[in-house]
Amino acid sequence: MDYDALVVGGGTAGMESALSLGDMGYSVLLVEKEASIGGTMILLSKVFPTLDCASCIATPKMAATFHHPKVKTLTSAEVTGIDKKPDGTFDVHINKKATFVDPDRCTGCSSCEDVCTVAISDQFNFDLIARRAVYIPYSQAVPKKAVIERAGTSPCTFACPVGIKAHGYVSLVRSGLYEEAMDLILEDTAIPGSLGRACYAPCEDDCTRCELESAVPLRLLKRFAADYYYEKYPEPKQGPPDQLRDEKVAVVGSGPAGLSAAYDLAKQGYRVTIFEADEEPGGMLRYAIPSYRLPNEVVDRDIKNVTALGVEIRTGERVRELAALEGYNAVFVACGAARDRTMGVEGEDLDGVFSSLDFLRRANGGDPPDFTGRKVLVVGGGNVAIDSARVARRLGAARVTIQYRRSREEMPAFDWEIEGAEAEGIEFEYLEVPVRFEGVDGRLARVESIDMQLGEPDESGRRRPIPIEGSEKMYDVEVSITAIGLVSYTADWRDGGGIFGDAKMSADPDTLQTALPRVFAGGDVVTGPSSITHAIGQGRRAAHYVDRYLRGVELSPQSFNGKLPAVAKDEVLTRQKAFRYMNGDRTAERLPQERIGDFEEVELPLTEEEARASAARCLDCGGCSECHQCLSACPAKAIDFSMRDEHLTVSAGSVVISTGFELFQPLKKPQYGYGRFPNVITAMQMDRLLSPTRPYNTVLRPSDGKIPENIAYVLCAGSRDCRVGNELCSRVCCMYTVKQAQLIMGALPLADVTIYYIDVRAFGKGFEEFYQQSAAMGVYFVKGKVAGVDEGPNGNLIVRYENIAGDGEVVEAEHDLVVLSVGMLPNQDALGLFTHEQLKHDSHHYVHEIDEDLSPARTSVDGVFAAGSTAAVMDIPDTILHSSAAAALAGAHVERVRT
Amino acid sequence: MSELLREPREIMRDEMAMRRHLYAALEDGPKTVPEIAQAMGHPSHEVMYWLMASRRYGLVKESRQPNEDDYFTYALVEKE
Repeated sequence: MDYDALVVGGGTAGMESALSLGDMGYSVLLVEKEASIGGTMILLSKVFPTLDCASCIATPKMAATFHHPKVKTLTSAEVTGIDKKPDGTFDVHINKKATFVDPDRCTGCSSCEDVCTVAISDQFNFDLIARRAVYIPYSQAVPKKAVIERAGTSPCTFACPVGIKAHGYVSLVRSGLYEEAMDLILEDTAIPGSLGRACYAPCEDDCTRCELESAVPLRLLKRFAADYYYEKYPEPKQGPPDQLRDEKVAVVGSGPAGLSAAYDLAKQGYRVTIFEADEEPGGMLRYAIPSYRLPNEVVDRDIKNVTALGVEIRTGERVRELAALEGYNAVFVACGAARDRTMGVEGEDLDGVFSSLDFLRRANGGDPPDFTGRKVLVVGGGNVAIDSARVARRLGAARVTIQYRRSREEMPAFDWEIEGAEAEGIEFEYLEVPVRFEGVDGRLARVESIDMQLGEPDESGRRRPIPIEGSEKMYDVEVSITAIGLVSYTADWRDGGGIFGDAKMSADPDTLQTALPRVFAGGDVVTGPSSITHAIGQGRRAAHYVDRYLRGVELSPQSFNGKLPAVAKDEVLTRQKAFRYMNGDRTAERLPQERIGDFEEVELPLTEEEARASAARCLDCGGCSECHQCLSACPAKAIDFSMRDEHLTVSAGSVVISTGFELFQPLKKPQYGYGRFPNVITAMQMDRLLSPTRPYNTVLRPSDGKIPENIAYVLCAGSRDCRVGNELCSRVCCMYTVKQAQLIMGALPLADVTIYYIDVRAFGKGFEEFYQQSAAMGVYFVKGKVAGVDEGPNGNLIVRYENIAGDGEVVEAEHDLVVLSVGMLPNQDALGLFTHEQLKHDSHHYVHEIDEDLSPARTSVDGVFAAGSTAAVMDIPDTILHSSAAAALAGAHVERVRT
Repeated sequence: MSELLREPREIMRDEMAMRRHLYAALEDGPKTVPEIAQAMGHPSHEVMYWLMASRRYGLVKESRQPNEDDYFTYALVEKE
């Protein structure tokens, strides 16, 4: 056996059981799901009836447990299943959750909390105050180590092919940390200015906020961060890494894939040279995307991020043989898909017929053709066709028509691009395609087109266009731009064996390594035309595997994507019952009549106010946003985002279940006003307000921070109440209420405290005296059943109760704070843990003690024992006694199975 | 019966975005929660979440004594 005993739950009962077993010499594994042991007791102000400090009692017990030589404690861990074996022992399956903080390094200094940009409700303060996504549970936590709450990867971040931590930069912009936002983006891409304008933003498609109103404008927020940063830093602030490596890497092509690979490799110290056939670097970024979408100045500034690292870009050098790159230890070919697909119809070579890429290159490269007054026909339905049409419009064309062979529904161009074109007066002719270009004196004069109809879906899933015979028609057109797709072209490579085909290169889809080990290839030249975003992702992938290749590490395909699984949107949306509507609409573009006269950017940037407001709509799906501020702030370098859950299986001789209780949720008694009136709180919240580690500076009204003067308690809120499914008395509410009343009288001597009760149960040692003492101190006890609570105009509360002690009349009383003495409910977590035998529960769903009178703690499963409130609600002294009994029985069971 | 309040989780999520408005409200001197709420234009019970979280992380501190209306005032903690 690995352990003599397993203890599930590290509260008072669990700690006591573990200590008792450990002191008897048994080896114990204590598993606690929270990041600290201590349970509820450590969160209390005092204990009744002695009014001893709860922390003063609990903290030494926590430390003794954690440091006991026979007790191994696992925090942030959950028992997921227990198998009973024939020999009476158990196999225990445990999920040790990743905390993303190395506990051996963490000193508990809280520096990480100070810089975290995500606020989450603090479960240890019961919704009274926020903590951070990275947190130390409380000041007396054992172990006192930070943990990071990560529910998974936020859907936006998960969707990004580049790996940009979208949630991270959103949370930084939300916090006003614009430079830090850009620094985070620069961890993953060199070209955020371009992406902020021309990315197709798959992150927005997956934004959970889409389920409520509309996506957080992640792309525009990236542009906002980039614009802010580039204005502040016209030149990159980073330089080459301090440590350069000896290996040299050649990159062929300076498009998004090549730039990205070079950037990532250069950051790791490799000496990188990019070979670019054109006169200027940037590839499609510079030559294919019109400047009204992506200005060349932005591309230039993005590229500076690459060259600042020491990357040399040799422009005007067209590489078409690997032999020319002999001196490089590795080569990444990313020469893109830089050719237009031809239509193959008569007259395509006439003057006046342009291929889209040639046309856009001329327009972007400072040599635009003059279209003034011309009638232009653009052929195609993709984004390049739309770009071509809109550029033609800006070059003075009198009329621009896009002819597409399918219908609008099948158009591959993005909707917003189509709408932008329509707004600029571009006309669309659907279900038509040219079959012939007709010229006069070698120059285009007319286009003959044919109508199409849609047949069955083809391999692309879109309905196949079929010509309608006899429907040919002529258009008078002076210019036509064909934009029916781009292709890569590699037939002109003069060596390389089989890795260069006529049109595409062959490479492993995961590692991007070709049949020649030192040669990698990626981006459009391998995948065919895609998007700049996917091309960047390919570049990053290549850099990852080139690095492994050069370091002699195995190129395992799974090593590249290290993201946690995406958080399910449903999970995010069930965290709240209701969401405030937050309008995400904005006027984002210049007016069409203004913008068609120039090549200035069409899309307006977010103002600072818009950026902050937009970022504030983020739902923090993943918990931690991966903003990486803690990474920078941690002096011990303890933050480790590569941590992952560990699944353990251990054997144990016996099991003690000490999973405690749950508190009644007072929203189930809406007549008390909890959740509607800020000044209606639970007794657990009041205990926190009275505790030395309280969330406020003293006991204050949550509505306005005023010191309360007249506090009411409502006993039996959610206990002894069949209507909410809890007919049991919770045993401790009367006494914890009396305790709090006494503490309030000490903390707020001028405050009145009234306790509304049906009866007061003071059955334990010293309880009656404690109750009488509080009455003598001036606490008002009103025998009255509270029917409802309403709010007055000043935030005070009107308590309506039936005066049981009198004639049963309904009386109203005004208070400025109402505390609901909520009952306890069974924690049923343990009931489903056992795979071979059912752990039985009683009629109230507490773990069933099969012989409560003579053998307390013994359960229906031999060798499994219930400790503390998992069997029935009990106070702390009874919990200690019960846990000791469970430990003794567990020890006896261990002796039996040993023999 | 009035509507439910905004859920604490949602209000708390706003904290980072609200900080600058909170600090702007405190720039011209200490204020009570209702005074901050009025300056920010937000309900005082929501301001409590943002203010107390800032206090928790050492960015805001309370006055030693409450005023005669039983309100503490809160001030920005000066950065070192």
